[in-house]
Amino acid sequence: MIELKHIEKSYHRGAEEVRALRGVDLSIVAGELLAIIGPSGAGKTTLLHILGCLDQPSKGEVLFDGVNTSNMSESELVQLRREKIGFVFQQFYLIPGLSVFDNIALPLLFSKKQASRSKIMALAEMVGLEHRLDHAPAQLSGGEMQRTAIARGLVNDPEILLADEPTGNLDSENSDKIYSLLRSLSQNGLATVMITHNTELAARAQRTVQIRDGLVHS
Amino acid sequence: MSGYLKLAGKNLLRHRTRSALTMLGIAASVGVLFSVLSFNKGFSEGLAVELERTGLHFMVVPSGCAHEVAALVLHGAVIPKFLDTKVMEHVTATAGIDLATPILVAQLPDPQRGEIDLIYGVDMSALSAIKPGWEITGKIPEHDNEILLGYEVAQHEKLQPGDRFSSSSDGINLVVAGIVGLTGSQDDAFVYLPIKTAQKLLDHPAAATAIGVKVKDPTRMVEITEALTAAVPGIQIVTMGEVMNSISNLAASARALSLAIVLIAILISAVGVMNSILMAVFERTQEIGMMRAVGASRRDIFRIILEETTILSLSGGLVGILISILGSRMIEAFVRSVMPFVPSGNLISFDPGVAAGSVLFIFVIGLCAGIYPALKASKINPVEAIKG
Repeated sequence: MIELKHIEKSYHRGAEEVRALRGVDLSIVAGELLAIIGPSGAGKTTLLHILGCLDQPSKGEVLFDGVNTSNMSESELVQLRREKIGFVFQQFYLIPGLSVFDNIALPLLFSKKQASRSKIMALAEMVGLEHRLDHAPAQLSGGEMQRTAIARGLVNDPEILLADEPTGNLDSENSDKIYSLLRSLSQNGLATVMITHNTELAARAQRTVQIRDGLVHS
Repeated sequence: MSGYLKLAGKNLLRHRTRSALTMLGIAASVGVLFSVLSFNKGFSEGLAVELERTGLHFMVVPSGCAHEVAALVLHGAVIPKFLDTKVMEHVTATAGIDLATPILVAQLPDPQRGEIDLIYGVDMSALSAIKPGWEITGKIPEHDNEILLGYEVAQHEKLQPGDRFSSSSDGINLVVAGIVGLTGSQDDAFVYLPIKTAQKLLDHPAAATAIGVKVKDPTRMVEITEALTAAVPGIQIVTMGEVMNSISNLAASARALSLAIVLIAILISAVGVMNSILMAVFERTQEIGMMRAVGASRRDIFRIILEETTILSLSGGLVGILISILGSRMIEAFVRSVMPFVPSGNLISFDPGVAAGSVLFIFVIGLCAGIYPALKASKINPVEAIKG
């Protein structure tokens, strides 16, 4: 479904050139739960951003369903992100003024789709937040916030869910819940990529790749 | 409500105090803009109505400054110059004149009360023709020792019809015959005397500061004024239209200044909006990055930020107009206390056109102020933003 071919990414930090990725080859298929591990600064997040078409590689190709995304315009990339990619972040990034319902429905605003109550309810039930739909993010626990963010990432029925350290701010019990949720999503056919520092969780994933010095080690 | 509008509104509510203060800044400037525009409109209309009400077509005055004449006619000033007695004879002898009445405006000190009265000497039989809009409690003076009081004078002196008014430096005991109802204009501050009594008090028998003239056929006014000017040297004829122009010109500079100040206030509030929204954009950089990641285009981000400024501007505009309507009496009282001539009646009233124009104006200014923060937000790099 997604194929990365010889991906390199370099950027400048002042006068210094940083080579974040030095030739990454990686394939992700539907229904797979892939954990990406590696030390800080190894290039994990850069890889995730390239997978999510938020960032473009300096060299190499990203093929999404066989289509090379490096030739796509900005609006085509926006469309791709809306329709096929879901994002989950370590800091959740929920909008404080909006209810759980509205936070989950936020991506529908940008994809110009109606936020049907039944769909949001179904997602909320799936993540165990059906009783919290009218609550503000400030009234939720960390685990509930992340589950809201996962529901938000799923609202456009993406083909792949990209999670950047989704358990990084959670205790072990909530981390377990989030992991179980991601695993059940992948078992239902959703490709799921999770960056994590939690080696125990990574070990339970279907596949784990390690990134070190900008290179993938399987 | 559109999702964008709801999101923009919720964003503003996250910093209620900041949003409220920014909105109040806009409200203040729009309130002043609305008041000034309404006042200008009310001033012109009020002036026209007031001059219409005088029932006179032109004034014969000593030659001099037309502005002085304007002030005289509308009771704002006293001119130390008198018309010759013979002028009245010439005016009445001129063909086509329906009514000619001498008017004597002066200040008269009253040592007993320690005050200076503004006196308006007029032929009482012509009073209803000159001031047809007046409502008088009591009666129009019929004898030389009877007077009519302006509303404010009567209130200040606590006098009723039949009371004695002490202005007796010449041993004349004046009695209040009637009191003029509140006009809201300078008329309220005068003591109206039979012209002969006024002339006697001033020690200027047969003097007048102006002669008010009504012609039989207004279409022949030019012909009549030309004939009068040619026949009588040392006079000037000022038509009511000229008086209106003189006062309008006097007021125009004040209006221009006040509008300039309003525009500066609006500019400052627009900068306040820009600053407030820009701060919000900087604070929400990561959130904007998230929105880009979950499918928001640059245009979506631009729209959200622009709608925030629109909400601020429109709500500020509406609140400003509401405040200025509620405070219109206070504003009007203040303006009346500082301006030399203000026509009677309500000068600041709700005019939908002026209100809509003021809101539309601030809406456009708000949009302009929002463009820079919206552009800035739309150009946020999502990768950099999410990294924090």
